[in-house]
Amino acid sequence: MLDLFVKAIAYSSCIGIGAASITLIYNTTRTFNFAHASLIAWGMYVVFASTYLIGYTPYHHFLLAALFGGLIGGAIYVSVNRRLLKAKAKEITLMMSTLGVDLILFGFLNVFSDYLLRVYRLPAKYFIFETKDIVVSLGSLSIRLIGLVAPVVLVSIVALLHTFLTKTKLGVSMRAGIENPELASLSGINPEVTYAIAWLLGGALAGLSGGMLTLVVTGYTAAGMTMVVSFFAGAIVGGLYSIYGALLGGFLVGLGEYLGVSALALLVGGWIYAYRPAIPLVVMAATLLIQPGGLSVLWGGRK
Amino acid sequence: MIELPPTILQIILNFSIGLIVTVSLNIEVGFLNLPQFGRLLAVLSGAIVAAAVPGRILAASMGLPWDANYAYHLYNFGIVAKINNMLSENPGLSIGILVFTLVIVALIGGLIGYLSAYPALRLKEAYLGITLLAFGELLMNVAWNYDPLVGGTMGVWVVDPFRFVGAGGARFTFAALFIFFIAIAIYIYAELLARSPFGRTLKAVRDAEVAASVYGKDIVKIRTQTLIVGGSIAAIAGALWAFFTGSMKAATYTRLTWTFWPWAFMMLGGIGNNLGVLFGVFLYTVSRTAIILYKGTLSAVIPIDPEWLEYIMIGLVLVAVVLFRPQGIIPERPTLTLPEHKIEMISKKFNREEK
Repeated sequence: MLDLFVKAIAYSSCIGIGAASITLIYNTTRTFNFAHASLIAWGMYVVFASTYLIGYTPYHHFLLAALFGGLIGGAIYVSVNRRLLKAKAKEITLMMSTLGVDLILFGFLNVFSDYLLRVYRLPAKYFIFETKDIVVSLGSLSIRLIGLVAPVVLVSIVALLHTFLTKTKLGVSMRAGIENPELASLSGINPEVTYAIAWLLGGALAGLSGGMLTLVVTGYTAAGMTMVVSFFAGAIVGGLYSIYGALLGGFLVGLGEYLGVSALALLVGGWIYAYRPAIPLVVMAATLLIQPGGLSVLWGGRK
Repeated sequence: MIELPPTILQIILNFSIGLIVTVSLNIEVGFLNLPQFGRLLAVLSGAIVAAAVPGRILAASMGLPWDANYAYHLYNFGIVAKINNMLSENPGLSIGILVFTLVIVALIGGLIGYLSAYPALRLKEAYLGITLLAFGELLMNVAWNYDPLVGGTMGVWVVDPFRFVGAGGARFTFAALFIFFIAIAIYIYAELLARSPFGRTLKAVRDAEVAASVYGKDIVKIRTQTLIVGGSIAAIAGALWAFFTGSMKAATYTRLTWTFWPWAFMMLGGIGNNLGVLFGVFLYTVSRTAIILYKGTLSAVIPIDPEWLEYIMIGLVLVAVVLFRPQGIIPERPTLTLPEHKIEMISKKFNREEK
């Protein structure tokens, strides 16, 4: 029971962080990022590969996953997204471009995984890192470290983002760029800087989320594709216009997936476990059809 | 009966199924600019109906189990084998059951389209796209887990209405040519639709929604009708695929194959243009078959598994099209109501009458 709870908290925090990435990028660049799936999977594989090849614990490599994610995010912006934004492309076109990027990243991830398997003989097709986690004892309880680290990371991201967006000049100008691009550019804020930061930060959040997920779920190259719907659900439940909403929405969707299904199983029976992936979908569809503004309505966001 | 070599059959089949799905997508996306990211939903529902309905009807009429036991994998194989034996000696019944199923499938696909209109009228762009995508995933999840429907994770066998022409190569050739014939018929239908007043209305709504509604076009009705037409066609593709392959497993119907790839074909060929769609599907089918054929040679040259090369290629094509040629290889042309010389003749006639 405790183990389930710890796992649920860790998973939900990761979904929250990833959902914030989608929201940040959508908010600034109108681009609904389908490449998120591969960014998550790449984050997982960076932690996997560097833990085996460099050593130490997986925790040492979270930062590397975030850096790598940020780099890919930046590369996507520079090579694809920037041109399309300049050409004032439609939302659907922007979405399709990230789908293309996703397929490319997915292809290369598989090449990378084949390479790890062939050259270093690593179990790169499927890997379970849960057993590599550190168990800490709090009094009489012994829990896995990720259950503590993931929520702490989530909270510190909220704090850091809040400080960045309200206290630094760059963050304030970025907020201005999101709220009203025309007015911001009139007052001398370069929208391209805003876009670039959004992609860098968004990529880093996605990479970090994927990296931490290695300690929660089974790793395989299509893991991002499987889980991405939960991230979409989190971003949409959060309202798609509020980064804090996404962090909270992702957290709630994750909890719903893990704890909600267990609660339902007590009520209706164990067969419901198979339908776990349907939970974020139902939550997302219900949010969109009933209150498209999502959770952000609670604190007066766009309705 | 002539037997075509497997490679040619593969190209014909993939081209035909791809064409049907992509044409249906083009009607919704190209003509009306609906972000249809849930093509999988209609395709999968078509496959489910083809796998669950005709087999059960025939089983019931033959006194075989047709309830939840029908889809139970230990019984299903035997039941479907008996039905197929019976069908192989009954060409009339085979054709009847095929046509009957396709009609039912088209109706169900239309119903799916009608239901999709509910979110489609309330949400826009990314929101709508993601909602439709979620519906497709939901249906896949249910079909994958709810055994009595189509056997869940074990899948079910699908009755074979093409068996009467013989087993093996002849059957596959006949089935592929039949599907090709349907695909061409649907293509012609879509082309006629594009040139009809309805098709022009769609493009008017797409290009200037407010203006179209000012001129008295009912946007709600038009969107609903388009979703119904698109859903019906896509569902037929799913059913034909299930009939051809002879088995149905929900997890093989992924958003990648049945939503994202048709999007890629459409964008490559030319969005909003049926001929472009045809060209895009053809180009992709041929190059994909070439990759599979020359797999050995390819992997000797580049140290990459050709399977991943396919993903990278489609991804690159998508990005390149979006960046450098957003209108596709064959761009959409404004549809003229009548051939130009006819319009000239009519205007001359009017001029004469005025004089």
